[in-house]
Amino acid sequence: MDKQLDLLQGTLDMLILKAVSLGPLHGYGVLLRIQQISKDRLEIQQGSLYPALYRLEHQGWITSEWGESENKRKAKYYRLTAAGRRKLQTETENWNRMANVMAGILGTKSEEV
Amino acid sequence: MTLWARFRSWLGATLRRSRMESEMDTELRFHMEAYAQDLVRSGVPQHEAIRQAQIEFGGIERVKEEGREARGVTLAESLVQDLRYGVRMFVKNPGFTAAAVIALAVGIGANTALFSVVNGVLLRPLPYRDPSRLVVVSLLNQKTQETFPLCDADFLDWRAQNQAFTDVSAFSGNRFNLTGAGVPEQVMGDVVTAEFFSTLSVKPALGRTLLPDEDRPGSPHLVVLSYNFWQRRYGSNPGVIGQTLVLNGSSSTVIGVMPPRFLPSPETALWTNLVMDPPTFRGPYYLTGQARLKPGVTIEQGRAELGIIAHRIEQQNPLTNSNMSFRVTPLEEAIVGDVRPSLLVLLGAVAFVLLIASANVANLLLARAATREKEVSIRAALGASRARLTRQLLTESVLLAAIGGSLGLLLARWGVKLLLELGPGNLPRFEEIAIDGRVLGFTCLISLASGILFGLVPAVQSGRSDLNKSLKKGGRNAADGQGRSRARSILVVAEIALSVVLLAGAGLMLKSFLRLQAVNPGVNPDNALTMQISLPQQLYHDDGQLISFYQHLLEKVQTLPGVESAGVGMSLPPNLLEVTDYFTVEGQGAVSERMLGLADLVFASPDYFRALGVPLIKGRYFVAADRADTAKVAIVNRTLARHYWPNENPIGKRLKTGGTERPKNPWMEVVGIVGDIKYSGLDAAPEMVLYEPYQQAAWSSMYLVVRTSSKLDDPASLTSAVQNAVWSLDKDLPVAHIRTMKQLLSESVEQPRFRTVLLEMFALTALSLATVGIYGVLAYSVSQRRHEIGIRMALGAKRSDVVRQVVGQGMVLTSIGVGIGVTGAFALTRFLSRLLYGVRPTDPAIFVFVPLLMSCAALLACYVPARRATRVDPMVALRYE
Repeated sequence: MDKQLDLLQGTLDMLILKAVSLGPLHGYGVLLRIQQISKDRLEIQQGSLYPALYRLEHQGWITSEWGESENKRKAKYYRLTAAGRRKLQTETENWNRMANVMAGILGTKSEEV
Repeated sequence: MTLWARFRSWLGATLRRSRMESEMDTELRFHMEAYAQDLVRSGVPQHEAIRQAQIEFGGIERVKEEGREARGVTLAESLVQDLRYGVRMFVKNPGFTAAAVIALAVGIGANTALFSVVNGVLLRPLPYRDPSRLVVVSLLNQKTQETFPLCDADFLDWRAQNQAFTDVSAFSGNRFNLTGAGVPEQVMGDVVTAEFFSTLSVKPALGRTLLPDEDRPGSPHLVVLSYNFWQRRYGSNPGVIGQTLVLNGSSSTVIGVMPPRFLPSPETALWTNLVMDPPTFRGPYYLTGQARLKPGVTIEQGRAELGIIAHRIEQQNPLTNSNMSFRVTPLEEAIVGDVRPSLLVLLGAVAFVLLIASANVANLLLARAATREKEVSIRAALGASRARLTRQLLTESVLLAAIGGSLGLLLARWGVKLLLELGPGNLPRFEEIAIDGRVLGFTCLISLASGILFGLVPAVQSGRSDLNKSLKKGGRNAADGQGRSRARSILVVAEIALSVVLLAGAGLMLKSFLRLQAVNPGVNPDNALTMQISLPQQLYHDDGQLISFYQHLLEKVQTLPGVESAGVGMSLPPNLLEVTDYFTVEGQGAVSERMLGLADLVFASPDYFRALGVPLIKGRYFVAADRADTAKVAIVNRTLARHYWPNENPIGKRLKTGGTERPKNPWMEVVGIVGDIKYSGLDAAPEMVLYEPYQQAAWSSMYLVVRTSSKLDDPASLTSAVQNAVWSLDKDLPVAHIRTMKQLLSESVEQPRFRTVLLEMFALTALSLATVGIYGVLAYSVSQRRHEIGIRMALGAKRSDVVRQVVGQGMVLTSIGVGIGVTGAFALTRFLSRLLYGVRPTDPAIFVFVPLLMSCAALLACYVPARRATRVDPMVALRYE
């Protein structure tokens, strides 16, 4: 397995939005979903997940309700709001554009200058 | 997300705080248990799994705190918490709180009071439409750079040739005798040309203003009243419109009342139309031009056009107008230009005082921070972030500043009253000074700024302190950290430096003021009473009547008991100059226009000089025999005599007013030379003065000067007797401007006195604050070093060594501060140069005296804690450890 990467500033919010966009999840589920879709290549501080969740909820991108977990325990489930979906879309576009630009810059060879 | 939703989320979270807490708890617990279960499933033993889950999760309290913050709960809540905590701290330390609040209240109060003056005088726009387009025009002698009023011909030439301005108008201040119904009264007013009101573009509150042709020859006498005067004299009766007033003996019809706050001078009671006959020569010079720039025309273009007009006038009138141009000044500048430098200097000075006060409070906070170090460390150990602690300390200091600021505002209300009472009566826009919204905003701003300023130093310092170290110290002898003590030293140095700058400014100002007061006015100021009388032209229309009135008046006054001599004259020292005029010296000026002199022209009675105490240098004073039908005579002052006849005897020489354009003016023989008198203010350069006997040159408006017996305590006690003498000749005649000569001298330096007194007050406040500051630092450092001092003394150090060491520590700080301060003062005092009289901004005596004064005060402040240090009992100090 590759060495785990530390999260870039601000990317945790995007990861959470992406994770819950695939279906409602409780906090622990969000963590597992991110690890799963990132194939364990990202290091996420477990505790830091919750302030981020609360912030996103406070900003209205996600919403929460209490439900029952797989093992019949009471758990809080998060889902994406319509505003969150739009947000995720624009953030994704921004990210891709940025990644392209960065890749282009970093891939520049001396003869191209 | 809308603001509403955000608010609802915040409100919900705040209201359902306990539910949120338990839900958060449940959620986090669920996470850890679920993770632990997964670990168990992968083969980790149960108890190990729980431990690992907890570790990997991180600090739960911290997560919760961040979670609360993310929901926006904590900000408001912790603010309330911090405030409550701050208030408790203040109540527990009343001494500290009082010291800090008083220092801040004085600093903020003084700043607020002075800012209200600056706001009213300098910042609030003039109450006219588009005031920045308004200009004032006067004559400028390009050679001497002196400015003069315009004459009728200048104004008419300008108005006829004007392209750059919309309304071209002119006005001149005048005294009016108001007679008829009610008590006779002398009021100040302006005679104005027809476009005066349309230039300013202000509509009357009542009635109408002047119509465009109402300044042409043959116009009726019309009068517009000021709001104040209308209220005071006519009880705000709207029926006054259309009534007839008797002004200077002629009937004038009231056509309108202007709104309140129309002119910067609250003294102006009325405006009458100036009826201008076609001028036959250039003079007299008495008008101020006023105009509004056409849209799109810059003031430079206006200047250029007036320059061309001036050039044309100069070519047509080489004798009177050589080198003459127009000076164009923005109206705002013309009204407040004189006081702006002093007000800005004072505002700067008072800002320094606030800075020093803030530094003092910062020092107090630093001292207290040392004793709070343990508390802060414990909070940090319990998980308070550095930002959170900084916020708490800042909240406390801003709260302190807010208390100081509110108290300061109360002080300022009283301070503004004091300033207005202390302030010169001739301060422009005096009426507009008040504590308004902008002033309140200013107070809030400086309170907040100073709170952050003095709170930031201790907050940053405490953020730096090493948690472990201070906890280990166990709170006892929580010695001043290196950084903290350096911060305190820097603050004290800054305080001393700022104080030195202020003291230097105040010293220069004081020296300049003393110089100004020491100026010889040329008269004997003791036992002299003066007043002003204007004879209305309608009733006293020929010279004979004027002369005979004053003759009779002087005869009556001279026989009053207690009167030694009495005289009348057109102008009065030290600054009541009424008229200047050109003159020609026989054999020197008639051919060469450059030799046409300009002198203060004073018509005077024989005893005018004696009553004022002006020394006769040569020849004789006027005598009663100098009558209209005898040879024309004149007296000149020493400056004029020296200038024209430096090596000759001036007695017997001849001169006349005007040049070749006034050929009918008779030659006058110089019969006497008198000492110089200041007529244009004590700080003015010597001017040439030409006196003519009032019996040969009648004038309607005269100052009466009465020299009273030296046995009389107060010359003013003769006021009513003299007034009665006037009224026995004409019961309708107002007697105005009643002052003793001492009062006149004192009033003439009101503005310099005002700024000097204020600056002294600020500087003394600064000095005492800085002294307290250095005292505080040393006293604190001594109390912290008791132990060390005790050991030193136990080891045989002498008391004098201890004193020397403590004083030395203080004096090092003082010398650094004084050094910086002197450098700063060198750089800054040149901004004072416009306000100084007879003192250079780098006056060596001041620059020696001020550092000395500061050092002496500091020495005193050092000595007290040093003495206390020597009283440390080695045994007690050691046992205490």
